[in-house]
Parts: sequence; structure tokens; C-alpha cells
Amino acid sequence: MTRTDFSDEILMRFADGELDVETSAEVERAMETDDELVARVGLFIETRQAAKTAMKPLLEEPLPAELKSAVERTVAEKASAQSGSAPRVVSFPHRAANDRRISRWAAPIAASVVAVIAGFGGYWLGRGGEATPSHVLPLAALSKPALDEALVTVASGAERQLPGSDQRFRAIATFRDNAQALCREFEVDSADRSTVVSVACLAGAEWRVTFAVAAPGGSDGYAPASSLETLDSYLTAIGAGQPLETAEEAKILGDLRQKREAN
Amino acid sequence: MSDAVKDVGERLIAFLPNLRRFAISLCRSRDVADDLVQAACERALASAERFEPGTRFDAWMFRILRNLWIDQVRRQKTVGIQDDISERHDIAGSSGEREAEARLTLKTVAEAIGELPEEQREVLILVCVEELSYREAADVLDIPIGTVMSRLARARKSLAETAGITAKTARSHVMKGVEG
Repeated sequence: MTRTDFSDEILMRFADGELDVETSAEVERAMETDDELVARVGLFIETRQAAKTAMKPLLEEPLPAELKSAVERTVAEKASAQSGSAPRVVSFPHRAANDRRISRWAAPIAASVVAVIAGFGGYWLGRGGEATPSHVLPLAALSKPALDEALVTVASGAERQLPGSDQRFRAIATFRDNAQALCREFEVDSADRSTVVSVACLAGAEWRVTFAVAAPGGSDGYAPASSLETLDSYLTAIGAGQPLETAEEAKILGDLRQKREAN
Repeated sequence: MSDAVKDVGERLIAFLPNLRRFAISLCRSRDVADDLVQAACERALASAERFEPGTRFDAWMFRILRNLWIDQVRRQKTVGIQDDISERHDIAGSSGEREAEARLTLKTVAEAIGELPEEQREVLILVCVEELSYREAADVLDIPIGTVMSRLARARKSLAETAGITAKTARSHVMKGVEG
């Protein structure tokens, strides 16, 4: 007896060689007498082939010389750095992470750190002794009540002028770290066009800035990729989960506001 | 010199064309893709010791690159950048010396791929173009294997429709002479 009610997914798995032997045999048997089934399987084989052919020219394009040399340079630098002094390690006051994501993907934070401030009291770490303490992080000058207020009111994706300052606060995302603390990633633009990329986490009822990188001012106001990489390493290190959905974030922020008003 | 860095470095350089292709298919812009590839390479080298020899290097790199991309997208959404619609066709690339008719067909498929929702496009590229298994694609994208399958099936049905890939032309491939 042959089945004819195969789902698209089963037929696709058959076409891709991802179906178990037994079901594959069933599909094959059914195909012997069912033209429509043959056509349905054929569609999956054909689309795979078509996609491959269509994307082939991209593989044959010559690599941009700049890209190739930049990567080669990075490889050479990393290789020589490894043979030289031991890498500097920046530690954050978070417990060691043990989740899968970290064990497989964590990047050493040290390499790309430009300037990191931890907590409002802050300390500076420089790369290769190039710390520039003369350039004070604008965050340090931020009023704490204004920041606290923004952290519980501005939805991710929105921005607002911070009262009594020329700084703009932009909420990027809300997530939980591996200790389940609520954290918010945000950026603060200053009038001098510099941007501070930052993370604050709730410790009890208080927001603590746990990470901040000052990105030199780009004319477009965006933080350059290198500072985002540093952030990315940090997020990996604290086991940052996926950003919360808008509704969930709104609810949590609402609860926080209520709690604050009750106090 | 660390063997891990040396090993990853060598593989990286050989793998650049594929990595760049994946990046272009994600960003639909060559300039953005090149920056992304470079950032992914730096990341990979910084965590070279995390790469487990014996596992697929391509899947590891795709994952690093895609995670960086997701981060960028999150930011772009925040500041309200929309991707330039004209860049969508960037993915089509040039098909070189091929005859006009073939070029037309290929471009259509490439365009159709470019027009797929991102979640379908990335799965299609990883499985059909880069030949990862469903399991490997699921690991790269951090989604269940069932989701890989449903997205992939949707992507291919939509591709067939948009690019006019018909089952008729496929029949000979499938049955190879069984058909009379």
C-alpha cells in the first residue's frame, strides 16, 4: 500500500536527502505511480539547484583587495600578538558564565577594548597604554535621576532628550543576563557628537551601569563597529539573552514604574 | 604562535569568498557586507581557541557573522534606517559571459531570493547554497530544526512561484527515465 498524503516538508526532506530510509522508500514507491508527487518533489530539487546557480556568480567575484588585505593583516597581527605577551584580560564583576553560548562563542574581551568604565565611579582601561583619561565619558556627567527615569520609561527603539542636558538617550534593547537580572542596552549621544554605548542592569531597585564604551563621534552619530564589538563581547560574557519582545518589555517597565511610585 | 589562531587564520582566508557571499545575502549590500566580513574575521580570530577542530568551520563562521549582523540590524531598527530597496538587487551580481537568456533567468532567481523574508532567505542560503544539513543550519541560526524545515519549505515554494520555476521542468531530473 502506498501513501499519497505526504506533506511538503516530507517531500523536501526527501529531495534534500534528510529523510529516514523507511519513509524515503515509501515516497519512492508512491512516486512510481503518482505524477503529481513527482512534480512536487521535483520542485524542491529544482529550487535548490536554481538557488545554487543563482548565487554562484557571487562566489566568483574577485574579493575586494581592501577586504582581503584587512583580513590578512588581522590574521598576522593576532598571530604575532599571541606569540608575544599574554593577552590582557578585563574582568567584570559578574559571575563566570557556564552556558553553552558562552563556552562556544565567547570572545576574549581584552582585544578590542577601547575604553571601558564600570559603574558610575568608573575606572579606565586602555589598549596598549593608549588610555585617554582626559576625555571624560559623558555618562559620568549624566544625572542619575534623569538616567534612571529614562531607563524605566523609554521603550527600546525610542529616544528622548534627557531633561536638563544636551544629551539624547536612545534605548536599544532589554534583556536578562545569566543571573536573570534585567538589563537595558542604550546609547547616549552628546552635543559633541560622541556616543556612549552602555548597559545598565537592575541590582535590587537600583540601576547600575555595568558597561560603557565611549565611541568617538562619527558624523552620523553612530557608534563605530569596533565599539559594538566590545559591547558584543561583553553581552556574551554576561550571558545576555535574546532581547525581550516589545509587549514584555512594556509590561516590565510599567511594573518598575509602579513599584517606584509606590516607594 | 598559537596553532588555533594559525589554523583559523588559514581557513578564514580560504573561506572569504563564501563568507562574503553569505554576508551579501544577509545585508543585500556589498559595502555593508565587506565590513561585516571583516568584523566577523576579527571576532573569529579573537576566539580562535573556541573553534573545535573536527566541527564545520563554515557553520562556525556563518554563525559568528550572522550574530554580528543581528546586532547591527537591531541598531539600525532603533535609529530607523531602512534598507535601500535598490540594493536588494545587488545580490543578483553580474553573471559574466553567460548568454542573455540565461542571465535573465538567473537574475530572476537571484532577485526572488533577495525578495524573500530574511528568515527564509538565510535558511535557503545555508542549506541549498552552502549545503549545510538541517541540523547544522539550525545550530547556526539558533532555531529548532522543525523551524528550519518549515522556513525552508516556504522559501522554496515562494522562490518557485516568484521565479517561475515549474515542476514540469523538474520531472526529468527526478525520475530519470522512469517516465515514459
